[in-house]
Amino acid sequence: MAAAGHMTASGAPARTGGMTLRRQVLLLRIALLAGLLGIWEAAAASGLLFRDVVPSLLTIGRSLFELLAVPDFQWEVGITTLWVPDFYRHLWITMAEVGAGMTIGGFSGLAVGLALGANPFLSKAFERFLYYLGPTPKIIFFPLMIMWFGVGPGSKVAMGTISCFFPIVLSAAAGMRQIESVLIRVGRSFRLNTWQMVTKIYLPAMRQPIVNGVRLGLGVAVIGTLLAETKLSNRGVGFLIIDAYNTFDMPRMYSLLIVLFVVAIGANALVGRASRG
Amino acid sequence: MASADSILVVEDIVKRFETPDGVLTAVDHVSFDVAPGEFLAVIGPSGCGKSTLFNVIGGLLDGYDGRVSVAGETVSGPHPSIGMIFQEESTFPWRTVIDNVAFPLEIAGMGKSERYDKARHFVGLVGLDGFERRYPSELSGGMRQRVSMARTLASEPKILLMDEPFAALDEQTRLLLGDKVLQIQQDLKQTTLLITHNLTEAVQLSDRILVMTYRPGKTKRIVDIKLPRPRTSEIVGSDAFGHYVAQIWNDLREEASKGLKDDEQRVARAGAVRK
Ligand SMILES: Nc1ncnc2c1ncn2[C@@H]1O[C@H](COP(=O)(O)OP(=O)(O)OP(=O)(O)O)[C@@H](O)[C@H]1O
Ligand SMILES: [Mg+2]
Repeated sequence: MAAAGHMTASGAPARTGGMTLRRQVLLLRIALLAGLLGIWEAAAASGLLFRDVVPSLLTIGRSLFELLAVPDFQWEVGITTLWVPDFYRHLWITMAEVGAGMTIGGFSGLAVGLALGANPFLSKAFERFLYYLGPTPKIIFFPLMIMWFGVGPGSKVAMGTISCFFPIVLSAAAGMRQIESVLIRVGRSFRLNTWQMVTKIYLPAMRQPIVNGVRLGLGVAVIGTLLAETKLSNRGVGFLIIDAYNTFDMPRMYSLLIVLFVVAIGANALVGRASRG
Repeated sequence: MASADSILVVEDIVKRFETPDGVLTAVDHVSFDVAPGEFLAVIGPSGCGKSTLFNVIGGLLDGYDGRVSVAGETVSGPHPSIGMIFQEESTFPWRTVIDNVAFPLEIAGMGKSERYDKARHFVGLVGLDGFERRYPSELSGGMRQRVSMARTLASEPKILLMDEPFAALDEQTRLLLGDKVLQIQQDLKQTTLLITHNLTEAVQLSDRILVMTYRPGKTKRIVDIKLPRPRTSEIVGSDAFGHYVAQIWNDLREEASKGLKDDEQRVARAGAVRK
């Protein structure tokens, strides 16, 4: 690795330098992944740990295949009935709950954030409490949510909502205060109305902080929803994971985690692309 | 002094700011009026309250004493006849050059092709042909300042307030752009107020020059520039021109040295406090 590092530093033409650098990064990642898998497999084979806690890669692979490709559920979609792996129904439920939570929490967070950013009085009165509540684990509200919204999807959506509300409200309020004051004066001197000020100046000027808030919000909304699904529930990916755990089906649990990981990476990449697009 | 045909009347403006060191009087009893189509330059040492005065006239500040009226109507808030070019960097970084310039037209509800045609004209006017699709971050500081200039010009205000629009430009571009602004101003019979630190520019462009004192910002003198029109940058070489520059420079030197002394004292005081 030292030799390779030296090569890029020695002023190769920028273009080829970039190419090799990218390839090196890719190689490094593959090596790291292969190394981790190797250690895992060695641990599984050694028998030092419980075999069921660290199952071999092959077992996990088989379980992953079962999870994703073996139909075991009749899903009625509109007038047709699909014969699919049950996992997709649960995944769909979780995604719908996260989506609903993000929508409600995101828009209300944005609106409150704009109000706090625009009004020093409001921000002085309330923002401190948001800062205190922000890092508090939202799971403590779950019993309350169950009482208010029942054990069905309502309480899960509520968990997603309150989870993503905080990062979004705080980054929107901070983002709004960071806007160059001269841009606001430009808008005022062209006599924009409030709606035009928000859509043509505030929001575009705050795009980066808002995207960051949405990113953080998406992360905690997923966590909040999954956590909620692990309690008093019979649907969703969170339920599947806790169910696999309770029945001590470790390979299935690992497969679920792997799929979740991939979905999370995909969602994050999507938000990242939206921020640039 | 306020004659009936003035388009802009500024009466006895006093603007104070609350600062941590007490109340600061930025503009102190400034009055003047401007005839339609007149070009008035405002000149004065740094920190004397020129930008503050413009923000008051543009309706962007409240809590001041005195009165600003446009065509006989008292101003409260931004007036539709007034267009402003700000001292600070003010392009929208998320819009391309053409979309920046088309902004006021978009707000006015003009159709897409019509507003782009018009915006393209103003982009050309400030010498940025070919940069229409670029973002401000891809331009130099002087080019960005020209974009904000074109943006305000595109809204075709009756009264144009320009706060050091040429500050980031080299001397040649400054003179050429000055010629163009003068030409637009004469064509559109636009009333123009220009803040500048550049004496040559002030004398070249103006009908009158308002010289302000160092803090608190008062009117020191209003100088009539009786040079023949139309003027181009060539006039800069003439004797009469040199005479005006020398006269105003004299006034300014006095004020600027007060400002410097004040700054030095402040630095000395701060130093003493730190010890
Ligand atoms: N919002 C504000 N709050 C407090 N003080 C202010 C504010 N705006 C301006 N000032 C003060 O008012 C004085 C005049 O400022 P102003 O910007 O009008 O000066 P200027 O003549 O435009 O200077 P320059 O030529 O450097 O641009 C300065 O001392 C400045 O510190
Ligand atoms: Mg200024």
